[in-house]
Amino acid sequence: MSLVAEAFVTQLAAAEPWPENAALYQQLKEEQILLSDNASSLAVQAFLQMCNLPIQVICRANAEYMSPSGKVPFIHVGNQVVSELGPIVQFVKAKGHSLSDGLDEVQKAEMKAYMELVNNMLLTAELYLQWCDDVTVEEITHPRYGSPYPWPLNRILSYQKQWEVRRKMKAIGWAGKTLEQVLEDVDQCCHALSQRLGTQPYFFNKQPTELDALVFGHLFTILTTQLITDELSEKVKNYSNLTAFCRRIEQQYFEGHEKESSAIAARSSKRSLLK
Amino acid sequence: MELSCWGGDWGLPSLHPESLTVMAYAKFSGAPLTVNTITNSWRAPKGDLPVLVSEDIVISQPAKILNFLRKQKYNADYDLSAKQGADTLAYIALLEEKLLPALLHTFWVEAENYCSVTKPWFASRIAFPLSLYLPGKMSREALNRILLTKGGPPLYSLTEVEAQIYRDAKECLNLLSKRLGTSQFFFGDTPTTLDAFVFGFLAPIYKVCFPRVQLQEHLKQLSNLCRFCDEILTCYFRLTVSGHSPAGQDTADANLQKLTQLVNKESNLIEKMDDNLRKSPQHPPRKLTTLKLAAGGEESSPMSRLSP
Repeated sequence: MSLVAEAFVTQLAAAEPWPENAALYQQLKEEQILLSDNASSLAVQAFLQMCNLPIQVICRANAEYMSPSGKVPFIHVGNQVVSELGPIVQFVKAKGHSLSDGLDEVQKAEMKAYMELVNNMLLTAELYLQWCDDVTVEEITHPRYGSPYPWPLNRILSYQKQWEVRRKMKAIGWAGKTLEQVLEDVDQCCHALSQRLGTQPYFFNKQPTELDALVFGHLFTILTTQLITDELSEKVKNYSNLTAFCRRIEQQYFEGHEKESSAIAARSSKRSLLK
Repeated sequence: MELSCWGGDWGLPSLHPESLTVMAYAKFSGAPLTVNTITNSWRAPKGDLPVLVSEDIVISQPAKILNFLRKQKYNADYDLSAKQGADTLAYIALLEEKLLPALLHTFWVEAENYCSVTKPWFASRIAFPLSLYLPGKMSREALNRILLTKGGPPLYSLTEVEAQIYRDAKECLNLLSKRLGTSQFFFGDTPTTLDAFVFGFLAPIYKVCFPRVQLQEHLKQLSNLCRFCDEILTCYFRLTVSGHSPAGQDTADANLQKLTQLVNKESNLIEKMDDNLRKSPQHPPRKLTTLKLAAGGEESSPMSRLSP
């Protein structure tokens, strides 16, 4: 978007307060959603909970196609549609809610760097595992991704997506990596996050920020989703402060709600993945 | 250990960001690398550059090369705390995600830059007929990478993608500048892996003379980053202003080192001699007691012997 268009949208966003019927769209929780999309969606939900903004989670089979950028999740607020955590954070900031206002410049730089680390390593590793590891692709991804559609559309759509993801992996140099190398990268990333978190409750001490939401989204999904092997979740479980961090955020922001929280749903998706 | 990489110009030891990163890290950690720059010959190594060859082991990506050097005990991150090590990883991820697309674009995709600077320079260093094919391939790979990682909807045309990646790159430069502040290196007074990576990415933007230079102009406004690059170039690469390292410089350095070592040895010997003299029994330690005039005879003889 050009600068003028961005300014215009920000103006529109700032004009109205957060409505009651804001909705977050993602794919179907039980049958369709994959690890990486679930992680992104949970991160956005955690962020909105931390900002105390009410949001309703709506599951649609074609969420990916409805999204303006092709990626889930996206939120529908008033008459605007915004997708992905980065733009959503900016949109929410334009409405006057922000979690990172109390940080100084150096801390903001650090926060952005760590968010890029999570996107660069954890998200890419999740995508690799889902789409480039043949066993996982055959047994989990292909059945889940095309499940709302009849044959042959389900196979065509999942092959198309696989081809896209593999092209991207090749362009960034991950196509030549083996699964062990990818798991080692995940371990390195978790080690860095663990070192940065230390014994603090949140990454920037007392208050949660969008970095905490993002890390929670990814780590919690990795811990609670059952794949072919447990290697990925074992890598995260090695770091006790990270598991404690996930539990703390889950208890604080997700357990006190009447509507079905994503935490409970993620645990039930664990059962449904055992096909 | 031999490193094969792209050569340099405009005051830099190498134009290629990854080669520059590895060379900088080798200088910081004191690893003895012989650098082979690619010249117009048929001895080009296969695969991507930079490539490290050490006793039949061939390693190709910068991260792996740095890991190998660390295992050989050439570790520039020795003094870093665990948190600083974590910060290093995070900032490297930031550089790769936000700055690298714009860097690739400036070098390989921007038509004027590519045709007038990058392609002739690289073609002159690759043997014919590969020089007709390889620069084009590198350019296509760069465009591919930019489009696949940054080019999805809602950005539908190349100009929108370009606007977005340059905006991200300028923001990244601002963040780096804020993080560096007024200190000499990112983690105090000694350079580390992060300094090598930042230098590798920033120096080509800073020094290479392109026709289209929006990123360079933005970088020049951030004086602490410019100072950072210049300091590393003068202290670790010892290149003069014209960019050519004088041939005699290395031998002069070696001689200087030998001379310093000799002088140090001499001064050690002199110190030892001094110690021996002081410890010998004829010279008891001087006692700052007041002279008693009554026992003048006994006192005077040690006093007279103490005089050099």
